[in-house]
Amino acid sequence: MTRTFVCHAADVPANGMKQCETKGGLRLLVAHSGEQYYAYQAICPHQDVPLCEGLYDGSVLTCHQHLWQWDIKTGAALGLAEAPLEYFEVKLEDGAIYIVPPNALKMAELFAGINGQTLEGIIAIARREEYDEGTTLYRVGDPVEDLYVLESGRVNFVIGREDRTTPAGFMLRKGEVFGWAALLDNQPQRIAAATCLEKSSLLRVNGREVLKLLEADPASAFAVMRRLAALVTRYLAASGAK
Amino acid sequence: MKIQVNARNRAYSFDSGEKEQVLFAGLRSAVDLPYECSTGTCGTCKAKLIDGKIYDPWPEAPGRKYLKPEQGEFLMCQCVARTDITIELGNFVYGLDPGACLPRSSFGVIRRTRPLTHDVTFLEIEPDRPQEFDAGQFFAVGVPGIPGYRGYSMVNFERQAKRLEFVIKKKPGGGFSEWLFNSGIEGTAVNLVGPLGHATFYPNLGKNLLCIAGGSGIAGMMSILSRAVQERYFDQHRGYLFFGVRTMKDTFFLEELSSFRKAFPGSLDITIALSDEDVPADAAGRHPLLGFDRGFVHEVAARHMKGKYQNLRAYLAGPPPAVDGAIRMLIVEAKLTTDNIKYDKFS
Ligand SMILES: Cc1cc2nc3c(=O)[nH]c(=O)nc-3n(C[C@H](O)[C@H](O)[C@H](O)COP(=O)(O)OP(=O)(O)OC[C@H]3O[C@@H](n4cnc5c(N)ncnc54)[C@H](O)[C@@H]3O)c2cc1C
Ligand code: FES
Ligand code: FES
Repeated sequence: MTRTFVCHAADVPANGMKQCETKGGLRLLVAHSGEQYYAYQAICPHQDVPLCEGLYDGSVLTCHQHLWQWDIKTGAALGLAEAPLEYFEVKLEDGAIYIVPPNALKMAELFAGINGQTLEGIIAIARREEYDEGTTLYRVGDPVEDLYVLESGRVNFVIGREDRTTPAGFMLRKGEVFGWAALLDNQPQRIAAATCLEKSSLLRVNGREVLKLLEADPASAFAVMRRLAALVTRYLAASGAK
Repeated sequence: MKIQVNARNRAYSFDSGEKEQVLFAGLRSAVDLPYECSTGTCGTCKAKLIDGKIYDPWPEAPGRKYLKPEQGEFLMCQCVARTDITIELGNFVYGLDPGACLPRSSFGVIRRTRPLTHDVTFLEIEPDRPQEFDAGQFFAVGVPGIPGYRGYSMVNFERQAKRLEFVIKKKPGGGFSEWLFNSGIEGTAVNLVGPLGHATFYPNLGKNLLCIAGGSGIAGMMSILSRAVQERYFDQHRGYLFFGVRTMKDTFFLEELSSFRKAFPGSLDITIALSDEDVPADAAGRHPLLGFDRGFVHEVAARHMKGKYQNLRAYLAGPPPAVDGAIRMLIVEAKLTTDNIKYDKFS
């Protein structure tokens, strides 16, 4: 795996944070907490505001602009935040901090906090696929098989048929999961159509196989189902449906 | 004009008037579009134009520094649709609560102004019909001949209000606030959009109240305390108000604040923070029901609030540095959760 040098550990204040830039021009927020270093996107996922100007108490990061918050250990959204932080795996060698780009499944809110082995199992059955702009991933009524995780690009949803359609939201962040009907029983058909608005890279995982892996690990299964319920509610508070 | 909004979770469509800002058209139609200042400074109302034409009356708006104009991003609180438009929002957008007072565009007439200090004025506007609003809300006020709107928080709280009361601090060189200090402005008709704002208080909150106001930020706190006192909220809950000004001669509303305290001496504490001078020796004697301390308002609040952060909701208002200082204190020291911090930055 390719690793990229970010900064020296000594440059990051104890239980503090610092904005760094890699040679390639990638800007990152590096935070120290207890014994560990963490690296995230440098800019708030809400607006163009540098996170290094925010508030950080050694465990929770807050953007001062509209008070979105994240858990510094995972980048998971807390409180008012509508999106997690894009997270990078950190390697510390001889006082130097390197990053390794993580698998999108590791960033997926849906699978946050589940057993590492189970997650590796899901990663092992995931297929990476690239789609051109304009590709239809599925239509209303198509059989439901796979769950999708966005790596890059942008996917749009529409409900209804032919010319009587309504937009039902879109996905644009790495780690966002859609097509989650694949995790539900009694949901054999797609109820929305999904189209790539840009060239997109996606991970596809067969829903039944994920369920099989989860059946062997009930604690993780429960965590995933709770998150799934929360995800569905977030969309169903409005009429959108995936 | 028809406006279609594609939000992260679903689409909405509504109509906008000839000269109506996209934000105000949406709110009037009960679509809870994102905003904070509603007057072009904060960038919260950012959206992306997908289709159609808009007109931007204020291309210099400070809030535009958060935008990527080359990607078609614009401020909904400023721009007006010239044709039917489709726009996209990166936010989750829901309908406004059925119980909320829907904002609308209307007219008012300036009925009275009265100086409160050398640079703060009291202003009374009569709305065209009795107006509902929640404690802590504000109106966008527009005056003929001065471009744009200015946000001002109501001081009073009453049902079907026949008067909207404001306090306005003079900003040197400021278009509206300097104009207000002219004589003979009573009778002037103004445009109103509102009620606006999310820093609202409802008596079913069930928590202790902490109000931190810098200067004219006291306006919304007066409304919140009025409602709390009217509904005897402090029979069950504690209240703490910190009101920060520079010197004793910048204080106002001390009589009104004393009367709030008098009604609930055991559960409501009110402290005046003076940033630029020591507390004069006669302050406590002249205002026995109020506390006085020296320092920036968020620092004074931090000193007095130690150990009192359980079950607390905070309301903050005033100039951005005062509000940001208070937010930092409440998150880092007090460990308050962000849903219990409601604020208006007077930028
Ligand atoms: C939510 C909120 C509540 C507020 N409540 C109060 C209050 O209770 N009391 C108080 O004293 N102040 C309050 N303010 C600040 C107030 O809105 C004004 O910024 C302040 O009074 C200075 O106005 P001005 O016209 O004198 O200054 P200016 O510098 O002339 O204008 C200040 C603001 O007016 C708007 N503006 C200026 N020019 C244009 C233009 N060409 N087109 C469109 N818009 C323009 C912008 O929002 C700008 O920030 C509040 C602000 C906000 C956001
Ligand atoms: S810009 Fe960070 S929370 Fe809004
Ligand atoms: S709400 Fe439009 S810039 Fe603040």
